[in-house]
Amino acid sequence: MEQELYNIKENALKEINDVQDKKLLAEIKVKYLGKQGELTAILRNMRNIAPEDRPKMGAIVNEVRNALEEAFYSKEDIFAKQELEEKLQSEKVDITEPSKGIRKGSLHPIPSVLDKFIDICVSMGFTVVEGPEVESDYYNFESMNTPKNHPARDMQDSFYITENILLRTQTSAVQGRELETRKPPFKIVVPGRTYRNDSDSTHSPMFHQMEGLVVDENVSMADLKIMLSEMMKRLYGENTKIRFRPSYFPFTEPSIEVDVSCPNCAGNGCKTCKGTGFLEILGAGVVNPKVLEIAGIDSKKYRGFAFGMGIERTSMVLNSISDLRPMFKNDARFLNQMK
Amino acid sequence: MKITYNWLKDFVDIDVSPEEIAKKLTSAGMEVEEIVYQNEHLHHVVVGKILKIERHPQADKLVVCQVDIGDKVTQIITAATNVFEGAVVPVSLPGADLVNGVKIQASKLRGVESNGMFCSGQELGIDENYYEGAGVDGILILPQDMKIGQSIEKALMLDDVVFDVGVTPNRADCMSVIGLAREVCAILGKPMKKVNLNFPIDIYSKDTVRNYVNVEVQTPNCYRYMMSAVTDVKIERSPLWMRARLNAVGIKTINTMVDITNYVLIEMGQPLHAFDQSLIGGQKIVVRQAVNGENIEALNHNSYTLDSETMVIADDNKPLVIAGVIGGMNSCVNSNTKVALFEGAIFDLKNIRVTSRKIGVRTDSSARYEKGVNVANAEVGLCRALHLVSKIGCGKIVRGIIDIASKTNDYRNITGSVKAINAILGIEIPVEKMKAILDNLGIETSVIGDKLNCKVPPYREDIENNNDLAEEIIRLYGYDVYDKIDYALFENAKVTEGENHPRIALEKIMRNILVDYGFNETINYSICPSNIAEKLLIDDERKNIIRISNPISEEISCLRTSMAHSMFSLLNYNVSVGNKDIRMFECGRVYLPKELPLKELPVEKCKLAMVILENGFDFFSLKGIIERLLSSTSVEYKIVRSKEPYLHPGISADIYAGEDKIGSFGQVHPVVAKNYEISEKALYAELDTDFLSKLSIKRYNVKPVPKFPIVERDLALVVDEDKTVEELSQAIKSACGKLFYDVKLFDIYRSENLGENKKSLAFNIKLSDENKTLTEEEVSQIINKVLKALSFRFGASLR
Repeated sequence: MEQELYNIKENALKEINDVQDKKLLAEIKVKYLGKQGELTAILRNMRNIAPEDRPKMGAIVNEVRNALEEAFYSKEDIFAKQELEEKLQSEKVDITEPSKGIRKGSLHPIPSVLDKFIDICVSMGFTVVEGPEVESDYYNFESMNTPKNHPARDMQDSFYITENILLRTQTSAVQGRELETRKPPFKIVVPGRTYRNDSDSTHSPMFHQMEGLVVDENVSMADLKIMLSEMMKRLYGENTKIRFRPSYFPFTEPSIEVDVSCPNCAGNGCKTCKGTGFLEILGAGVVNPKVLEIAGIDSKKYRGFAFGMGIERTSMVLNSISDLRPMFKNDARFLNQMK
Repeated sequence: MKITYNWLKDFVDIDVSPEEIAKKLTSAGMEVEEIVYQNEHLHHVVVGKILKIERHPQADKLVVCQVDIGDKVTQIITAATNVFEGAVVPVSLPGADLVNGVKIQASKLRGVESNGMFCSGQELGIDENYYEGAGVDGILILPQDMKIGQSIEKALMLDDVVFDVGVTPNRADCMSVIGLAREVCAILGKPMKKVNLNFPIDIYSKDTVRNYVNVEVQTPNCYRYMMSAVTDVKIERSPLWMRARLNAVGIKTINTMVDITNYVLIEMGQPLHAFDQSLIGGQKIVVRQAVNGENIEALNHNSYTLDSETMVIADDNKPLVIAGVIGGMNSCVNSNTKVALFEGAIFDLKNIRVTSRKIGVRTDSSARYEKGVNVANAEVGLCRALHLVSKIGCGKIVRGIIDIASKTNDYRNITGSVKAINAILGIEIPVEKMKAILDNLGIETSVIGDKLNCKVPPYREDIENNNDLAEEIIRLYGYDVYDKIDYALFENAKVTEGENHPRIALEKIMRNILVDYGFNETINYSICPSNIAEKLLIDDERKNIIRISNPISEEISCLRTSMAHSMFSLLNYNVSVGNKDIRMFECGRVYLPKELPLKELPVEKCKLAMVILENGFDFFSLKGIIERLLSSTSVEYKIVRSKEPYLHPGISADIYAGEDKIGSFGQVHPVVAKNYEISEKALYAELDTDFLSKLSIKRYNVKPVPKFPIVERDLALVVDEDKTVEELSQAIKSACGKLFYDVKLFDIYRSENLGENKKSLAFNIKLSDENKTLTEEEVSQIINKVLKALSFRFGASLR
């Protein structure tokens, strides 16, 4: 009987080992361990065994049963894993199919640069203010030390509505308004649309500027340098450098052009910067004391500095846009590239 | 302003290259925008002499020439027909790269060697006006006395370097060679060479200028009027050196007299005019304001009718010149002129500017006058012109110069402060350095303690205060000093708190919401055509549109009063180029005048506008977007049927916050769709962002989550089509009383079975009691109450 048990074990293990099908495995399990199974049959015969042999035989039966059960479990486990693997395989999708439900739009490259620059300025202590786009000649020009018939008016061809009302040619127009109403010290920036009677491949009759003005007691050209340097680093990247060149604006004295090292070539020269390594981005300078006096601010006590930045140019550089005109065409094929 | 390297060298000993000078001028604020080497295409082109011409053995139209090019004789084959044995001609040799793109190399033409090419004037980049013979259709035949073998650039004086300098409007004095030479002197720290203003007068004649002309100045707009006379005038081609200079800076040469005036204009910045004395009526020059209606035919062959704002130079009965702007045909020097009168005058800059704008003529002369020419310059200019007359030998100079001046400008003394200048610049520039820079600029400076006593020359009217002195000093000291400064941000300024503009901040939130809903942001011109109110069927105050008085084109001639125009136009464009599924928006302004013509500034309203054209995106999809946008503010609003004329009256809504209309949305009106050639399915929306950004911060009033279960009931109610979901929902809510928790429409069903003009609305009603679980009986009671109320008020019946 002992031998019979070991034969059952041997045969069963062989069958379990050889079986390739989950269903057959279940049948084998019934054949050996089921109610009518071979091992069960032997168990039923235990009562015919001499009582002194029962413990020994019982141990052998348990050993065989344990061995078979474990073999069945591990075989079942293998089949289960195989089955899961097959299921996972069969459910596989093409992950390169397009996404569903979410359709992302895009911010326009001009306001998105303004967003960025406004955040930078606010974090540096500037208050964002606005002014009218339809402006009086007084604020656009006269309060900016550019009286009627001043030669500097030639620098900007204006769209006039009446003799004394025009579309502002520069966000500087807001300087005069703010100087009249604000008490120094203050720091303001003015984003907005500006207009000039000029339309070709590099000029749009409507464009955007951002003006900055700081008025305080002891500020200087050197403060302007430090401030612009920091702003441009935050806008164009940590390694950005700026340089000053003399220029002329009626409302600043000294006046400068500020060149920013080209972010595309790190100042080595490329197509964007026409090989110069630098981009002309800003006009700036120390506020002309006449401008302060016109607004009723004591120019002996207070000094200021100001800057004005063309947003289109900045946006074109930051987004590698080579042509100004599509900026105002609003073709979806252009806009969708800013997703 | 174009000047040349050699011309500058007349006044300064320049010992650096043209590139170097250009760089230095630029860094001192005189931006050199372009450098042109005249000889760029003249390398390997020399003067040669044709020694012998023979027929080409293989070609009838070619000849074989033996040409002396100085160091040797070379063989050149040509098809030109105007060459002859003994002719002196320009010869381009192997290596030459001509202006028309032709590159010369030694080659064989039909088996015979040819080592170059003869050149026409055109191939050298010159015309008949510049050099006699340069305009003929053929080879340029040069004078016999030219040195054989010398480079053509030397022979034809095409060896200069031209700089195009961007002169800023504050530096009228630099609109001249001498002005820029002064800058070069200051930059290089070199002295200025003296300008030769000497001229011999005709000692054999007893005449003085007054024998030829008398001058009367009747207008205060003329500050100085000088005139001199030249007799025995020779009107002919100017010498090559003068033509070369004028040609280099782009001025057409005409004859000796005219060329001299132009030469002085460029060199000294002094506009001059040359009259034919015999054409001046009554031998009298009167400087006066024009009489209204007076006419003049100007040198540009246009006729102008003048008014009293315009200053003229006249004789005893007619205007001869529009002062400072352009001369007249009736009195200019011409080939018959025997006696010429040179005028050197100074006029009020505003007067010249106004006239130039009014008649639409801008000349080299007016460009200088309107920026300001200093009074002393008239004399310098006139004397220089007379010097050139004597140098060229094209006339005899009559004794005496008429000089009528009502203004002078002398050296001015101003006082600067070293401390103040350094405070403006934020750096320490040593006082000796300041003095040296100012002295070099011709601003004689003495230092007493902190004081800089400066003697400012008349041509530097722009210099008045410490800021002006600071600029002069720093631009020559060099802005690169700032590359080295290093200290903390805003170290010298008070701390201020930054703050965004509330509307810009709100727009940023809304713009990003829209981007998340698949919208593209756009930027449209605020300027529009004049007919937008008509196209949008607008008949309210928005049809009063502000017009630009000097528009570029009708398309952009007015200021938009509605964003709808921009949105419909961009939809039209996008569809026309084949783009589909359009969702776009813009944050911008509309401009509403209080009255027209404008007396005061208009009201500018900020709007967020949207346009959508997409299958499956309907009015209610748009409503959802509007609700989402408004939920980012604290606004409490209601929607009513829209009155916007450009929206479909049945498929559109106006949004109200109390009495204020804060927006509208809906499908485009079919007529407007036609006007803009867009689909009738297009949707439009706009919100008043000014209003929304002024609201208080959004706060929530959060109630506890119900403790007891919520009971739900669904009711499908048949009602007439004109009953609204909103009114039924409200009725359900009030019928439920205290037990109301929520009501939602979940289905709308329409069918013939329901009866004509009927619809079935299915509502999901939620009830809850905060103190206990509701019983079936209580719920049934409420639902019956609801049904009764709806039946009574709206004739609703259960489906």
